[in-house]
Amino acid sequence: MTDVIRSRHARRQRWLWGAPLWVLALAFLAPFAWMLSTAFKRDADAFTVPMDWIPDRATWDAFGTVLFGESSIVPAFANSVFVAALRVIGEVVTATMAGYAFARIRFAGRDTVFLLYLATAIIPAQLLLVPRFVYFQTLGLYDTLWALILPGMFTVLGTFLMRQFFVSQPAEFAEAARIDGASEWQIFWRIYLPMATPVMSALGILAFVWSWNDYEAPLVLISSPETYTLPLSLSNFTDEQGSLSPSLSMAASAVSIIPVLIVFLVLQKRFVQAMTHTGIK
Amino acid sequence: MIGRGRARTPTRRQFLAGCAGIASAGVLGGCGSGSGATPPNRLNVWGGVPPGSGPAALVEAFTAAHPGTEVSYTRFVNDDRGNLKLDTALQGGVDIDVYFTYQTKQLALRAESRMMLDVTDRLAGDAELAPYLDRRNPTALWDGDRVRALATVAEPWFVLFNEAARERAGTPLPTRWTVPEFEQVAREIRSDGVFGTYEVPRTARIALGPDYWFTPEGGSNLADPRFVEWLELGQRAIRDGVAYPWTEVLARHLDAYQQNGFVAGEFATWVTPPFSLRYLHDEENYPHDFRVAAAPLPTTADGTGWDQGQYNNFIMINPRSPRQDLAWEFVRFWVTEGARHMAKGGKIPALGNVPQEEVLASLLGPEPDRWFDVDSFRRVLFDEPAQLYVDSNLTAYAEIDLALSQQQDLCWIGERSPADAMAAVAARATAAIDRNRKAA
Amino acid sequence: MAVIAPSGAPAAPTPTRTGSTPSVSQPRAWVGWLFIAPNLIGVLLFTLVPLVSVVLLSFTEWNLVSGFGGIDFVGLENFVDVFQDPAFWNSVVLTLVYAGVSVPLTTILGMALGLALNRDVPGRAALRAIFFVPYIVSVVAIGMTWLMLMNPSAGLINQVLGALGLQDAPAWFASSYWALPALIVIAVWSGVGYAAVIYLSALQDAPTQLYEAADLDGAGAWTKFRVITWPSLVPTTVFLLVTLFIGASQGFGLIALITAGGPGDSTTTLPFYMYQTGFQFYRFGYASAIGMVTFLGVLALTLVTWRAQRGRALHD
Repeated sequence: MTDVIRSRHARRQRWLWGAPLWVLALAFLAPFAWMLSTAFKRDADAFTVPMDWIPDRATWDAFGTVLFGESSIVPAFANSVFVAALRVIGEVVTATMAGYAFARIRFAGRDTVFLLYLATAIIPAQLLLVPRFVYFQTLGLYDTLWALILPGMFTVLGTFLMRQFFVSQPAEFAEAARIDGASEWQIFWRIYLPMATPVMSALGILAFVWSWNDYEAPLVLISSPETYTLPLSLSNFTDEQGSLSPSLSMAASAVSIIPVLIVFLVLQKRFVQAMTHTGIK
Repeated sequence: MIGRGRARTPTRRQFLAGCAGIASAGVLGGCGSGSGATPPNRLNVWGGVPPGSGPAALVEAFTAAHPGTEVSYTRFVNDDRGNLKLDTALQGGVDIDVYFTYQTKQLALRAESRMMLDVTDRLAGDAELAPYLDRRNPTALWDGDRVRALATVAEPWFVLFNEAARERAGTPLPTRWTVPEFEQVAREIRSDGVFGTYEVPRTARIALGPDYWFTPEGGSNLADPRFVEWLELGQRAIRDGVAYPWTEVLARHLDAYQQNGFVAGEFATWVTPPFSLRYLHDEENYPHDFRVAAAPLPTTADGTGWDQGQYNNFIMINPRSPRQDLAWEFVRFWVTEGARHMAKGGKIPALGNVPQEEVLASLLGPEPDRWFDVDSFRRVLFDEPAQLYVDSNLTAYAEIDLALSQQQDLCWIGERSPADAMAAVAARATAAIDRNRKAA
Repeated sequence: MAVIAPSGAPAAPTPTRTGSTPSVSQPRAWVGWLFIAPNLIGVLLFTLVPLVSVVLLSFTEWNLVSGFGGIDFVGLENFVDVFQDPAFWNSVVLTLVYAGVSVPLTTILGMALGLALNRDVPGRAALRAIFFVPYIVSVVAIGMTWLMLMNPSAGLINQVLGALGLQDAPAWFASSYWALPALIVIAVWSGVGYAAVIYLSALQDAPTQLYEAADLDGAGAWTKFRVITWPSLVPTTVFLLVTLFIGASQGFGLIALITAGGPGDSTTTLPFYMYQTGFQFYRFGYASAIGMVTFLGVLALTLVTWRAQRGRALHD
């Protein structure tokens, strides 16, 4: 009897929080809905006000053009997957190790290096475009995917995120393990790394998004169409005045968002999973 | 590494430039630039027009006429960032033989920095290209007494009429008219829910013509009363509900999508260049149920009538190209025999060397009589062609252009008076021109 | 995700210690350097090197198109000009307002959302994805949707405001007074999901035992939050404040797309002004100088934030 009451109470509790969140969620879905509806519209109907959510005459044509047409986004899609995969792996590995050391290993010059690190993140990225171009051209990496992958594997923001996580973890575990004679690598690998999986997943998601949506670096570092990444290939759907075809570009955006959602849904499970073994051994 | 090493031929100068760039980046030592040359019979061309709108066919025709040659056409998006891509590539020694410039501000910089080969001597003695050497009616970009770039396209503006709205108002189609008459017609033709016009003509340009921002001495001309008159005309038209409300233009970004409003019948006249015609015979994407006629741009009250548009789409040769003779062959082909392929994409050739009916047919689509009053277009475009030109003073172009559009916005949304707005533009222009002079 | 040791690096320092080790609980310095080495070398190579040239460029006049031969050294002239440039100061004020309002709001709302999504709510996984959508959807879609929502005459927002009895609803992007507030709304809306994801990941190592103990003591929700949850979220909050602030002083995508700095110059924030001078006016030396001044300003503010949290959250 009490069990029934409790579970009914629990269910009500769930909806008490859930209902407003779902209402709010609609507001966050609006641009997504607009993107989809525009992809099915004719260009002339794209910007009618008030907004026309359901097109009068829906057509799949835009998706056909984007996927199978003359300037199909499929090859660029493959390039983007390749770039994003390497960047995510590289960034998560190097940022986790460096973030851990900045937070949990004491060594001379550590905090100075870290502040310098943060400082480099402040320089506006668009100012770096031209110098980067010159640099990669000299290294012989211009117009190769490596010009996009290599800088993305070693990032300051990722390191900062991981450091902030490790800083919030108790230092006592490390000290106890050191007294027990564990090596620094063992302390990192066996004790702290398992705790970090939720944050590493979050970083993985963010790194994927950063790589997937990066437009400006490929713009100046890539020139041949075979090497295009997705955001560059979207520029095929602009006319010579530089205006986008709304239906084509939104169809392409809708397709290009799918991998991001998959990565998100797979990695966000880690947030939940981690809760089950918070008990730190 | 999976990198596709891009073949290029570093010249000595590029090599030094690259080293200087790297030295400035703080890295000394080996300047290991990749080598390997593009074959001498392969041209690299960068342009902003999508290949399918003419360039692909033109390139095919060129290679057919020049067996053994190859042309690779790279398309860049003609916006700020797309042009940055082209500029970095030009500076970084990417192999580019021929390229295009569409925006005046880039034209100014690239000319000033000698990124365009002097083609004056190649033009001399070429009868077919003689118009490019005509200085009184310039169709080329002159730098002192040298030609550095050739316009490929003429871009005359006209006033399009929604015929259904015009007939309803009983207004005759103007064949020659003045700005005050334009204002009167726009007032008559509007009806419930339909504005008279999208945006008033740029009357200062119509009155002052080429280099209208500058005095003959090269100073700012933006204090000329005709600029204030233009803003007043626009403000009055918007206030009286004759012209489209500028708040809506800003709030809906109509600037880039004016065709949507015209097709939807939201305004009855539209001052626009020829490329807008492509939307008006595209039943698939821009369905509408009225025909369209053309009137010439209005002249000033005293009959002065410069065009709002110019000769445009400049083609030029990269001075670093190791294949300048072949590049010139290609440029020549583009503006002569090749012009026909570009005309199919709705481009009116600058040299006027494609039969008028052919140009008209490509501008007006496969069913011209269904969508257009064909005679009116023939009259406006060919029988009494407007007076086009090429600006030659391009000082501080981007800054003046920005100041002008910012103040135009503020004025037409009603936040600033025309006089105050133009005073602000004039002050910015003077400062920018002075700074440029000091630098030069 | 498998984390691998850098190949060739002696990843696991053996427990054999030399006599010089100061104390058992202190690892030797080189171990720390070894951990940061892969990242550090990459950052030095691919970020710092190009960055140094930005510093150098800020002392020059250069339009890019003139090539490297066209780089003119002008000493401190750019910096003198920057400080005398009214457009620069206008953009500084706009940026401070923009960041000053949007950054704290995004952080607070992101935390609230993160806490809410950490509860057992129906369709949690889907909800998390939905709130993250603004962060991943193309900027074009975001810009266009908001332009239509905020249309002065027919937009949904003003229709709602009208229905609520508001007579003079704002003209939003068609007004130089309302355009910046409108951009702030969009910035917050699109940043909240990002903040929530980061908070969510940080919430996973909240000490469950402490919550149980607090429940037994009959502690209220607010007390539990203040005493247990909040302290564990401080480093994350610092991260978000710093990165969002950096983002606000760098990001110009939405501004470029929605207002292009207008009407007039009412939304020409620092990053957009820099973009204009560099990419539209081709004054790369001057743009770099603006970048350097921004850099010094943000660095100062970051240091202040840094020091403020130092006493509170650093456990070492």
